[in-house]
Amino acid sequence: MTILISFDIDGTMEIGDPAGAVTLEMVKTARAKGIITGSCSDRPMSAQRAIWEQYGVEYDFVCYKHLLSDLKTQFEVEEYYHVGDRDDLDRKYAIQAGFGFFWPDEAAASPLLL
Amino acid sequence: MATGYAPSSMYRSREGMGIWEHKGKVAAVGVGHSPTERRWDERPETSVGAWSIMALRNAIADAGVEPDHIDGIVIVPETTTGAFWPDDKPLPQDVINAFVQTDDPLDGVAKLSVEWLLKNMPELTNINYSVYAPVCMSNALNVAAQAVGDGLAHTVLVLKAWHNLEGRYYQGGQNAQDAIGGTSAIRSLWGAPACYGTALQFAEYCRKYGKDHDMMTPFIINSRRNGLMFPEGYWAQHRPEELTPEDYQLARWIAKPANLFDNDIPIMCAASYLFTTAERAKDMKQKPVYVLNHVDSDAVPRGLTPTLDEVEAECALTGRKIYEGAGITAADLSFENMYDGFTQFHQFHLEGLGYRGIGFGDALDFYQTDISIEGPNPVSPSGGNIGSGRSRFWMHTDSIQQLQGRAGGRQITGVNAEIGVSGGPMPLGGNYTVWSATPD
Amino acid sequence: MKQGVIPDELTAPFWSAANESKLVIQNCSRCDRLQHPPAQDCGQCKSGENLEWKEMNGTGHIYNYGVVHDCPIRLLQDDQPFNVAVIMLDDDPGIQMYSHLPGTPVDDVPVGAAVEVVFEKSANGQKIPEWKVVN
Ligand SMILES: [Zn+2]
Repeated sequence: MTILISFDIDGTMEIGDPAGAVTLEMVKTARAKGIITGSCSDRPMSAQRAIWEQYGVEYDFVCYKHLLSDLKTQFEVEEYYHVGDRDDLDRKYAIQAGFGFFWPDEAAASPLLL
Repeated sequence: MATGYAPSSMYRSREGMGIWEHKGKVAAVGVGHSPTERRWDERPETSVGAWSIMALRNAIADAGVEPDHIDGIVIVPETTTGAFWPDDKPLPQDVINAFVQTDDPLDGVAKLSVEWLLKNMPELTNINYSVYAPVCMSNALNVAAQAVGDGLAHTVLVLKAWHNLEGRYYQGGQNAQDAIGGTSAIRSLWGAPACYGTALQFAEYCRKYGKDHDMMTPFIINSRRNGLMFPEGYWAQHRPEELTPEDYQLARWIAKPANLFDNDIPIMCAASYLFTTAERAKDMKQKPVYVLNHVDSDAVPRGLTPTLDEVEAECALTGRKIYEGAGITAADLSFENMYDGFTQFHQFHLEGLGYRGIGFGDALDFYQTDISIEGPNPVSPSGGNIGSGRSRFWMHTDSIQQLQGRAGGRQITGVNAEIGVSGGPMPLGGNYTVWSATPD
Repeated sequence: MKQGVIPDELTAPFWSAANESKLVIQNCSRCDRLQHPPAQDCGQCKSGENLEWKEMNGTGHIYNYGVVHDCPIRLLQDDQPFNVAVIMLDDDPGIQMYSHLPGTPVDDVPVGAAVEVVFEKSANGQKIPEWKVVN
């Protein structure tokens, strides 16, 4: 099964501000399973690219949260997930775009990332 | 010594007052900053009180004066970015115990009094003039300049500090309640975020003059670029992220036509300046920067939110008052550091000043020209709040540093730094200072 | 859903009129000048002696609008994005009121269009003046 997971950064990832439950190792684990990964955050897209490059983690996309539905048109997979910490942004845009949604601690416990 | 707010007689609010009676006789010399942080980590050494002390001591050291020579202090007692200490949250006793406390346990934590500062800065032994200025450094600078000019004190510290607590901006309190009081309901029931009023003015501006949101792009990029050369600033210290046109133009709306990057980021920080007489400034460590004038805008909109007509009229009036009291014209400005937090009123300030000859409706076209620090028409060389986070004081630090020739990477090079203006915040309701490298 | 309203001393006449589907605005009879939001004193003569409440005819025009995508009020967050328009009253265009413009599509707001007041129930049943475009 082909899967895409988009990660919010602040409040979601360990490198975010505030730090969240999702570690870079989890992202790497997902990638090792063939999952398409990248970030969907309020951070400037150029800064999102710089973050992945700074930590040496490969990524397939960077995106803004409200553009999740555009992201969906760029990757044809069977399941789409977004991980984020804000109900009114992350969860809302994920649902609108037809993504599954995980809170950071749910994602950190998910077999997809372990 | 009980400290009160500055009387209205200290502000220059009216047109027709003539040249400021103390023009060139008051100078800023020392600059002191604390570090910046996104939010308070609840340690004593990073509290708003601790950082205020740090900023004050840095300003004193920068000016090279002995603390016992300082006889006045002007501070802003409000320190909130929008976050208040929750009623149900236990007081931070370890922080409170780390300082000499006043009767108010949140003094130095979520507010600031002169009494608290003096209890915790025993080296300030000769303060005999103290006064509060509301909300902004811009306001405190007006008061400090007038106080020194009037001889109420000869060597004055000016301070503004900000605390930011955990949790999201403005999401608690009455915004989380099912019902609110009748008076605030008249304004707030419709859920307009803070940037909405400015976004409205910008929307009308675009309709009136045929402009659009993307035309703000060069201003945003320039502001962040300048901010990343401000070592005291938040973005330079913590997240040295430049902004690209794509970053800005695709960002999500907060209140369309204002998007995420038209808003600034709330942070913790403190800054202080040392003001003194032109005479005493000669013997201090840094080059004096002379105050040519200070101006207050006290206009109140008729309705719920200022109309574009009201904004343009007030900015034009502010511009006239700025020039009148300083005895200069727009042609004398080397640079402008008007406020930018929200980005979408910076152009009103510019147009009101008639900076580089522009009039109402011209600024967004002007932004498409060279507005960099290297060019002939530097716009917001400080980078403002967009460049360094919400302090409302970067523009003042930058103006002083530009005229002292120590703005580092931000030093303007396309023109000589001779006279600058800084101030804000809102087009209706702000305070402005005209700075000069020479007293006349 | 808008938050409920707990009328206070200053605004009680405004809110109780709204519950009777009437729009009243504070007026200084000495200055013959309306003001909104209401205040303890007249914004012009600075006196509170001559303040009264005056019924409006309930018509206005859309002066301006923005579209709110990131609202701080919890009860409104499910409705995002939504219009927030500024209405100028025909009785006195200096008097402004906010409106969600019920019935008007998001970000498709006819600036300058005529509107009339309607009254909408909030979370605690208090009625709120709202505005609808007149066709
Ligand atoms: Zn009156």
